[in-house]
Amino acid sequence: MKRQAGVMRIGVSSLWAWWVPLAWLVALLAMIQIMPDGEDIFRQIAPDNRSVIYRRDDFLTLVANHMAIVGVASLVAITAGVGAAVVVTRSWGRDFLPLVAQLASMGQTFPPVAVLALSVPMLGFGTEPTIMALVLYGLLPIVRNTLVGLQGIDADVLEAARGMGMSAIQILWQVELPLAFKVIVAGIRTSVTINIATAAIGSTIGAKTLGDPIIAGIINGNTAYILQGAILIALLALCVDSSFERFSRLL
Amino acid sequence: MSDAKQPANRVIIAMILLALPALHGLALTSVQPNRIVPGDAYRLMEIVGLGGALLLSLPFVAVLWLAWRPSEKRMRVIFVINIALLMALPWALALFCMSFVDADQPYARAGVGPGIWTLLFLLLLILIELRTRLQLSKGLQNMAAALVVGSLSLALISGWLEPLALAREYAGRREQFAAAVLYHLMLVGAAVALSLVIGFLLALLIRRLTRLQTPAFSVLSIIQTIPSLALFGLLLAPLAWLAARYPLLADLGVKGIGWAPALIALVGYSLLPMTRNTFVALEEVPPDVIESARGMGMSPWQVFSQVRLPLALPVLLEGIRITAIQAIGLAAVAALIGAGGLGTFIFQGLGQAAMDLVVLGALPILIMALIVDAGFSALAAYFRRGVVHD
Repeated sequence: MKRQAGVMRIGVSSLWAWWVPLAWLVALLAMIQIMPDGEDIFRQIAPDNRSVIYRRDDFLTLVANHMAIVGVASLVAITAGVGAAVVVTRSWGRDFLPLVAQLASMGQTFPPVAVLALSVPMLGFGTEPTIMALVLYGLLPIVRNTLVGLQGIDADVLEAARGMGMSAIQILWQVELPLAFKVIVAGIRTSVTINIATAAIGSTIGAKTLGDPIIAGIINGNTAYILQGAILIALLALCVDSSFERFSRLL
Repeated sequence: MSDAKQPANRVIIAMILLALPALHGLALTSVQPNRIVPGDAYRLMEIVGLGGALLLSLPFVAVLWLAWRPSEKRMRVIFVINIALLMALPWALALFCMSFVDADQPYARAGVGPGIWTLLFLLLLILIELRTRLQLSKGLQNMAAALVVGSLSLALISGWLEPLALAREYAGRREQFAAAVLYHLMLVGAAVALSLVIGFLLALLIRRLTRLQTPAFSVLSIIQTIPSLALFGLLLAPLAWLAARYPLLADLGVKGIGWAPALIALVGYSLLPMTRNTFVALEEVPPDVIESARGMGMSPWQVFSQVRLPLALPVLLEGIRITAIQAIGLAAVAALIGAGGLGTFIFQGLGQAAMDLVVLGALPILIMALIVDAGFSALAAYFRRGVVHD
């Protein structure tokens, strides 16, 4: 019943409640559309450069590619991260709990750039190594938050569920994960935000992302390119983050 | 000390079962005639032969056996073996360099292969596991760390590790490296110091003007959300414009590329954790404590400096810790816009496909982050304990 009411509330006031992420999305789409025609404006920023609009790839492709890289990495990280946290909180996997918990919190002190850079000697250049590095780093906040969420559940609740005759799988799916969902989503949000930023730096190891115009601009001394990449990355990040913000308020 | 047998330690067993194939199957080292030519990879068997390989497996098998029926004493033996292995690693590398790298070729170099990195990682995981299972005293832990670091330093000083590719890259840019480390630390230090002052004032301000709380935190979290590369880029254009407009600024070094956008961006990112933690820290001091301090006749300034601030210190330190670690990583990215620091090596290395140069930049960044993390955690724990005792 409660869930039903929630769905109704989203239905009625949905558009208004989501205006912040929608506004960022509209701004992002508008920029993708307008910037290629903004030659006059960008000419003033980079008067000495021959070309002032980044045209090696069109902006839509770059945005889509960036999103795809972050999306794939995040999906893998969510599956593996939540899975790992669930495994180490079961009675048969509990031996590994201290190690995984410590690793997840220690690993977060490693700067993402360093992880990305160190993945190159192991994995090489390109899109796949970028995704691998994003997965590795993105796992940590998800594991940590899932552990916090699962361990924060009152033992009495689990006892009651067991008393009702629920199986271990049922308790996991119908009690534990729903109760921990909010904390898990917060972890996913952190993970995705970091991944969007790190994917941009992935340009330096050969992934095609929104970092491309920025890197090209830095190499060629073209401020206009840099600005175009920066605007798109910033809008994308703000759009995704505010969507998460909105979503987590519904929980 | 009880010697009661416990159920098998599955964590250590799993690590050893991963370590053994890594020891035998993965390339431990490689030798390159010079920087460009790809080298020959060496596995354990190719280095020490069958007998040596079996001999070197012994400590791992011993740990496996000890972990099968662990007791307090056996776990301590595993700890000793683990530390010994970590201490021996640099010397094993030195031996390898001596016998496999031609000393007459000045450009020949030995690389550390995936096998050694994997082993190192697994040994560290076992250490973490032992630390949670065994009640090791702080002194013992510090001694173990000192032994491992000491062994590594001694091996480095001896010069026997000079043929390592990493050492060769370092030898080629000794001064640059020192300057980069210093510059990196200065950039991080300046950002943390500036954001501490601004964050503190901001926190005090929004405690007074409660109406500003929501908008202030919204703006700070928007800045925090913008990816670093984009924020550097967004600052570049206005700063370049300012420098062109006001030559005085340009003379000071403020321009689109360089330390100015880096420092501004670092401070921008640091403001959210710093302000939030300062705010929460000051807010969380129990009102009755403040009340009783006032009741004792303390002036508002005395209440602030002698009661509120000391009580808020642990949370405040946590804010500085987060900020500093974040800034260490971001300063590396700032190298892309010409801010210097250790990131320069990373991106130079990536550009030249010189992996050891990348490692030369990334490794100190990792170590710096770990040291800062450990230092501030210890400091916060120390102050928290002080508060409880009083």
